[in-house]
Amino acid sequence: MGKRSFHLETKDPIIKFAVLDKILDLARANSLWPITFGLACCAIEMMCASMARFDIARFGAEVFRPSPRQADLMIVSGTVTKKMAPILVTLYEQMPSPKWVIAMGNCAISGGPFVFEGQYNLVEGVDLLVPVDIYVPGCPPRPEGLLEGLMKLEEKITGTRRFPVPEPKW
Amino acid sequence: MTMTNRVIEEFKAEFKSVDITEAPYEKQGYHLSIEARTGNLLNIIDFLDKREFYIIDLFCVDYQDYLELVYFFNTHRELCRIKVTLKLDPVKPVAPTISNTYTIARWYEREVHEFFGVYFEGHPNLTYLFLHEEIGHYPLRKQHVPVPDGDKKLLNSFRPHEEENSFFINLGPQHPSTHGVLRVVLKMDGEYLISAEPVLGYLHRMHEKMAENKSYMQFMPNPARMDYPGALLFNLAYVEAVEKLCGIEVPERAKYIRTITCELNRIASHLLWLGAFPADLGALTPFMYAFDDRENILDILEDVTGSRLTYCYFRFGGLYNDINEETFIDATKRFIERMRERLVMYDKLITGNVIFINRVKNIGILEQGQAKKYGFSGPVIRSTGIPFDMRKVDPYAAYGSIDFEIPTGHIGDNMDRYMVRMKEIEISLNIIEEGIKRLPSGPFKTEKVPKKLKPPKGDIYNAVESTRGETGVYIVSDESDTPYRMRWRVPSYSNLMTFPHLSRGVLIADAIATLGSYDIVVPEIDR
Amino acid sequence: MDIINSMQTLQEFFHVAVFAVVAVIFTISPIIIAYLLAPRTVGKKTFVTYECGIEPFGNAWIRYSVHYYIYALIFIAFDVDVLYLFPIALSYTKGGNAFEFYSLIVFVLILALAVIYAWGKGVFTWKRKILS
Repeated sequence: MGKRSFHLETKDPIIKFAVLDKILDLARANSLWPITFGLACCAIEMMCASMARFDIARFGAEVFRPSPRQADLMIVSGTVTKKMAPILVTLYEQMPSPKWVIAMGNCAISGGPFVFEGQYNLVEGVDLLVPVDIYVPGCPPRPEGLLEGLMKLEEKITGTRRFPVPEPKW
Repeated sequence: MTMTNRVIEEFKAEFKSVDITEAPYEKQGYHLSIEARTGNLLNIIDFLDKREFYIIDLFCVDYQDYLELVYFFNTHRELCRIKVTLKLDPVKPVAPTISNTYTIARWYEREVHEFFGVYFEGHPNLTYLFLHEEIGHYPLRKQHVPVPDGDKKLLNSFRPHEEENSFFINLGPQHPSTHGVLRVVLKMDGEYLISAEPVLGYLHRMHEKMAENKSYMQFMPNPARMDYPGALLFNLAYVEAVEKLCGIEVPERAKYIRTITCELNRIASHLLWLGAFPADLGALTPFMYAFDDRENILDILEDVTGSRLTYCYFRFGGLYNDINEETFIDATKRFIERMRERLVMYDKLITGNVIFINRVKNIGILEQGQAKKYGFSGPVIRSTGIPFDMRKVDPYAAYGSIDFEIPTGHIGDNMDRYMVRMKEIEISLNIIEEGIKRLPSGPFKTEKVPKKLKPPKGDIYNAVESTRGETGVYIVSDESDTPYRMRWRVPSYSNLMTFPHLSRGVLIADAIATLGSYDIVVPEIDR
Repeated sequence: MDIINSMQTLQEFFHVAVFAVVAVIFTISPIIIAYLLAPRTVGKKTFVTYECGIEPFGNAWIRYSVHYYIYALIFIAFDVDVLYLFPIALSYTKGGNAFEFYSLIVFVLILALAVIYAWGKGVFTWKRKILS
């Protein structure tokens, strides 16, 4: 999905069998550590998601690491400009495997409200630069939207959704 | 005799051949307009400098037969906005630099160079500031003008010289604080900074170019994206500018609701800063408390406007919809009571903390004398002791009828900037209370506003006091339904440019504290 | 008798040996587990030094500021203090007499004199602003 032109060759681990994979995937999904990569307005909603009301700590992801060497989830929250693009790719490459990317907000999905004819400084969507796993639409998406994106990512990693979909009240 | 008349008299005495005209302030937003020529521009700038005028903004407009450089000036003592224009040849535009008198002009002129191709003679470092390396044309010109080959070397704007014993480190675009994508290149000697050079443009989202392609109504979501913590105030600047240009009258109720929601947004933005500033110093607890309070405000505003962060609530002639009197006023009153108690708690938690006081007192002292050269505004200038607030100097919306005071600091260090913002939260609470008491009934929107706005020909400059300082919009209209040129004067730009001056020779931890106390938001700098 | 004595001494060191081996295993095992279990990706910029996403420029082999050097010297002074305290801890009799206690205090004070001298000379206070 997406216009992927970026490809990092991933070598399989030395020990690999099914039950171990299941345990490791469960462990990785329960403790995703995001990198502090807030670019624009969506970053504020990402911070709200990690605060007391929309606690992201109950899903194990409140440890926002500033250094990519210690992180395994990159939440691209905000617009990616052409000047910022090489930095994003560098940081993605510096993260150790396995790693995932959530494109949060309309700007990261496809350029957002800043696409117009004659635009000269925008990368229309972060999936032109790095492979994206989950897209969370919104401008900016509510913190609950980001949490739902996190749930979908956990479902993608482990294969089953472990928390129920909340029932809409109206 | 008012300032305007005094200036006209003295100017005519000194420059006999230069045109100076008085402009109607209500329609244009400035008092005087001076047409300068390349020969006497520097003399005019000196004249204004001697009379304590600070530079508001410096930009360029592309009228296809000529380029016009526009300079705006104002004083801190009395409101007297002066517009100086300089016409340039579109094929080879050359102008003298004013950065010897006004230091902030160094960055404004770099921006004009990369967007319009104007060369400034005598500029110390005319390299690119915002744009990236592969751009091959001047974006804001009306026609496609490619960058001449000889200038391509200016595109590599930041290449520090390889010096023997200096250590360069990047306070890079990706960092764990909330300013946004700001990159500062630090040259260090051990733990002390020798120089700090901000590199901008990592979030340049082409707002000014979008304004030329979209109609006035289609541009409404953009101001909120520029300054997202204080979105309603940028909305207000834009909406009021267009209303003044078209002569649209706003009903009283709409003015009061605009005031109340803007002050709520100001408190929300200051609470965001209150969480982030101690986090820069290492205190992570106030973050949680401040965001909790902020969620209360966001609930109230979400009921009314429909969104949590990037509001788009005002319309030309009033508001999008009316407030629900019972729930809104109830919730706001409860919030005001709660916030007053929380302010006492913040006092004990942060202001009285010995570690915080030692980290923040007497660091980053900004003098009053620098205000003229840089043009900084907002809590930064109020902390140096100058009581300059656009809400008092030039009242707009309902601020004229509400009584409030302006908090000032004494010496302009980080502690003063902190105290000014805390007092501003209290004063905003008072303004909201007054506003609710006086809220008139009536329509919330003027009836006869055309769907496709076509303002009359002319230009207007409108300024409001946003959370970070003086925010201004300059719109040139040519009677079509898209603006011809829109320019945003943002406070964080001039605030940030004092950082290289303040951080020479300090410890790096103190420099980070100073940067945090400015409360800059990078998307509004990069526009 | 000789053999029994050396067996007893060896037995006392047995716990130290176990401690040393467990410490080494504790530090090396996560590295080995990660090497066996994690997938590997290498991009163009994976092994570049992290500097907020930008390639570092300028030399890292520069002349360091003298403040750090003085801190390193003070560290040596403290380190020597701790080294000398080890044999004292071994030979300190339980429930000893006052003479031993006071002589220990005097010994520590004499060793700490170096640090107190540095403190008085202002090594621990750094100026807040060096250029004007």
